[in-house]
Amino acid sequence: MSRFFFLLREALVNLKRNFLVVAGAVLAVFISLSLAFGALVVNEILRLNTLAWQEGVHVIAFLQDEGSNGVPPGAHQALLGEVESWEEVNGAFYVDKAQAWVEYQEIFAGQDELLEIDPTILPASIRIELVAIELHQSVKFKLEQQQQVVRRVDTAAEQIEQLQNLSSVLNVLGIGMAVVLGVSAVVLIANTIRLAIYARRDEVEIMKLVGASNWYIRIPFLLEGLIEGVVGAALAVFTVWLGASRLAEASEGFALFRLDVSNQFFFRWGLLFIIFGAAAGVIGSLLGLSRYLREADGTGEEIPTGAA
Amino acid sequence: MIRLEHVTKVYEGGTVAAHDISLDIQKGEFVFLVGPSGSGKSTLIRLMLRDEGVTRGKVWVAGKDITTLPKWKIPYLRRSVGTVFQDYKLLPNKTVAENVSFALEVLGRPRSVIGPQVDQVLDLVGLADMGGRYPKQLSGGEQQRVSVARAFVNRPPIMLADEPTGNLDPKTSVGIMKLLDRINRTGTTIVMATHDFAIVDAMQRRVVALDKGVVIRDEHSGKYDQGQA
Repeated sequence: MSRFFFLLREALVNLKRNFLVVAGAVLAVFISLSLAFGALVVNEILRLNTLAWQEGVHVIAFLQDEGSNGVPPGAHQALLGEVESWEEVNGAFYVDKAQAWVEYQEIFAGQDELLEIDPTILPASIRIELVAIELHQSVKFKLEQQQQVVRRVDTAAEQIEQLQNLSSVLNVLGIGMAVVLGVSAVVLIANTIRLAIYARRDEVEIMKLVGASNWYIRIPFLLEGLIEGVVGAALAVFTVWLGASRLAEASEGFALFRLDVSNQFFFRWGLLFIIFGAAAGVIGSLLGLSRYLREADGTGEEIPTGAA
Repeated sequence: MIRLEHVTKVYEGGTVAAHDISLDIQKGEFVFLVGPSGSGKSTLIRLMLRDEGVTRGKVWVAGKDITTLPKWKIPYLRRSVGTVFQDYKLLPNKTVAENVSFALEVLGRPRSVIGPQVDQVLDLVGLADMGGRYPKQLSGGEQQRVSVARAFVNRPPIMLADEPTGNLDPKTSVGIMKLLDRINRTGTTIVMATHDFAIVDAMQRRVVALDKGVVIRDEHSGKYDQGQA
């Protein structure tokens, strides 16, 4: 145990001694993982909003008034019954002219000039929830065939579909970016450790001279890489969490788009990112060390020594 | 304690640093390797430490053939061989006591053992009150004493010294040699490469003279030059 603490102390002293180089590595991990984690959070926001938009009404059929334009009384309920029987439809409900006026007043509350309209001009409508969003065109087409009763068909399905596509693209981009940035974090840590081992080549030479095993020489460097990776990743997770929380707070009254990602998501993915940071640190250190320490295993190059 | 059997070392480019050298060094001996620069003294030291591999032949250290030693076992060899170099090889950011204790910490010795052992060896080399100083605060002779202390703190049966007095003035060199002599009297085998004839002549110990990688003389109570013997 005392041996571990000695090695940990060596690692911490070395981190302090090479502060600028270490800060560079931490910054590199921080930037890489912030971008990757940020992309993940944006993707989550899109997913949440797509889900929210998918819930509820997908298609609205605005109807001609009964008793005008040859629309017989009872035509609205007849159409509702027909719509409900379609296999593409999960559910539908009827909003009459009076409910439409109440809804209009809610939407435009406080905008007096917009409320000075004749409530009777607002049409009744049928609000439809689809079984699957891709079915919107088929339902729209069927509704448009009912020209006598249906005045206009509106659907948010196209926007939802676009959002879904964007989400898929972002998923692929996010994964790609995470891989590229993750690899660059490993490479940057490897280079930092290489610089650190070069800066301490005399020390490594002396360690070998007094009989330190290769693993004994490696451990402080591995701990350094581990600490750099964990600190960089933790900073990245914290910064993205802070940014997303502030953004969610600022957009609380903004009903169209949700920006609040759950803390559970941050905890779960944050932990994974920190583990990734730790792994990147250790792998980077091993890569950085291998070139010099392979010499002791008989295959690598020797540490360039300052002394003759 | 150390045996070289027909050892040849040829560097890349064809330079022959050692040619068919055979030596047998007994436990507790003090052996000087002498000869001009490029004669192969330092190469022999490095071969005994397995810092370099032989081209041909065998090197036995403490009963083990180190030429066939797997790479991962080299650290264990080095734990039984103390080393002292001309340039001291001290860690500038560690104090004298830390430099010495480093050799024990690397071996995983507990702190309760390290403290007393470091104090004891610093006392032996005459630096008992300098444990808290840094190498740059010491003279060359004092730094070399620290280096000797680090090499001896583990009580190795063998000590290899490559020009340990090379950077020191004659008076300081005598002090280092007295120290090495004292260590040798504890039963430690010492092999020292040097071209300091005054020291070799004064000590009257075994002398192995090398020239162009070949042993040209091996005397048990010799002097630097044959003519003086």
